[in-house]
Amino acid sequence: MAIKVLGISGSPHRHGNTETLLDAFLAGAEGSGGEVEKVVLRDLHYSACRGCNACHKTGACVVKDDLTTLFEKIFATDVLALASPIYSMGITADLKGLIDRAQFLWAQKFVLKSLYFSTEHIKQHKGVFISTAGQSWDHVFDTAYPMVTAFFNGTGFEYYDNIIANNMDEYGGIRGHPTALTEAEEKGEEVVREVASLLSTGTSERR
Amino acid sequence: MPLHVLAIAGSPRRHGNSETLLDRVIASIREEGVEVEKVALTEVTVNPCRGCNACEKLNKCVQRDDLDWLGPKLLDADCVILAAPIYCMGICAQAKALIDRAQVFRSRKYVLKLPVVPPERKGKRLGVFLSTAGQTWDYVFDAAVPSVKCFYHVMEIRNADISYLMVNGVDLAGEIEAHPAAKADAAALGKDLVKTMRERFGDGN
Repeated sequence: MAIKVLGISGSPHRHGNTETLLDAFLAGAEGSGGEVEKVVLRDLHYSACRGCNACHKTGACVVKDDLTTLFEKIFATDVLALASPIYSMGITADLKGLIDRAQFLWAQKFVLKSLYFSTEHIKQHKGVFISTAGQSWDHVFDTAYPMVTAFFNGTGFEYYDNIIANNMDEYGGIRGHPTALTEAEEKGEEVVREVASLLSTGTSERR
Repeated sequence: MPLHVLAIAGSPRRHGNSETLLDRVIASIREEGVEVEKVALTEVTVNPCRGCNACEKLNKCVQRDDLDWLGPKLLDADCVILAAPIYCMGICAQAKALIDRAQVFRSRKYVLKLPVVPPERKGKRLGVFLSTAGQTWDYVFDAAVPSVKCFYHVMEIRNADISYLMVNGVDLAGEIEAHPAAKADAAALGKDLVKTMRERFGDGN
């Protein structure tokens, strides 16, 4: 069975640097036999978490919108790539809107104790974070990691790797970057091979 | 114009912990006779930034929503207070949307090189970040702070002029009321802010 790869683009800017980097990753994943799908948050209709905490009692979100079906896709995929540019030293409000909506899973895990991911499940589900930033600072991505970690923990994915490229303003965009697109493609190939190996032989191929 | 403060409740939940903390600071400021306008973000519409970069040329945002009137207030206030809870290790999405929309000020400042506030008010205004988190980890606010700094920098509020009151370990509605120090800290912060504003602006400007 083909390894399923879901790429979620949290950039409001269509076909910009981040989405292009995500596309390279997905192309690589497809090259390794992955069955890839891309969802662009900008095209969906959804609201952010309302903080009502109803999910702490029911385990379900009271909001029913396009994210309801997106969470179903997230649960059906083997590899999940979250992509967002850095705006104002953080991920976009679009991606944060999705991440905050995962509160119902946190509630299932820690309040209701009805959700549990086995070590094996987590090992076989890989999460990748893809990002670009105009800024040249090395620490420009630092605030994104804890939020992405929280999301991967909630959805049962091992945080596999980051594909990040800063200094976009200097390079004149992702296509001007010497290595980022190639690395993204290679990472896409690698992660699909890795999951396939884990599922078939139970062993990691990762160097 | 008398001293005036703009206070933004960024939480999607009305009258929860972060807004209660904000209300304490507001009450303390009002006791000193200073005017405070409070805006609850969940009652107005501030959509996320579209990343179109049009503001780099137009010097204004292409989106028409409540930032049309909230934006000028952000630049006009002697002190801006942003209160927002931590969700999933970061500032809630609604507050992040507001922060990202300040891109129009960034474009004005760094791309178009136009004044964002009148020159005599540059580096004099005050900023405040109030936050609450259910988590008890002491680093739970770390990822929110750099975005808050961005928000204030682009409207010419300096790092040294940003005050923080961040309370962790308050999860359930109303839990902030039982916190041993939060109320007193909020009241003291309000008094400090008024004192600094009076030193800088007199009783008004």
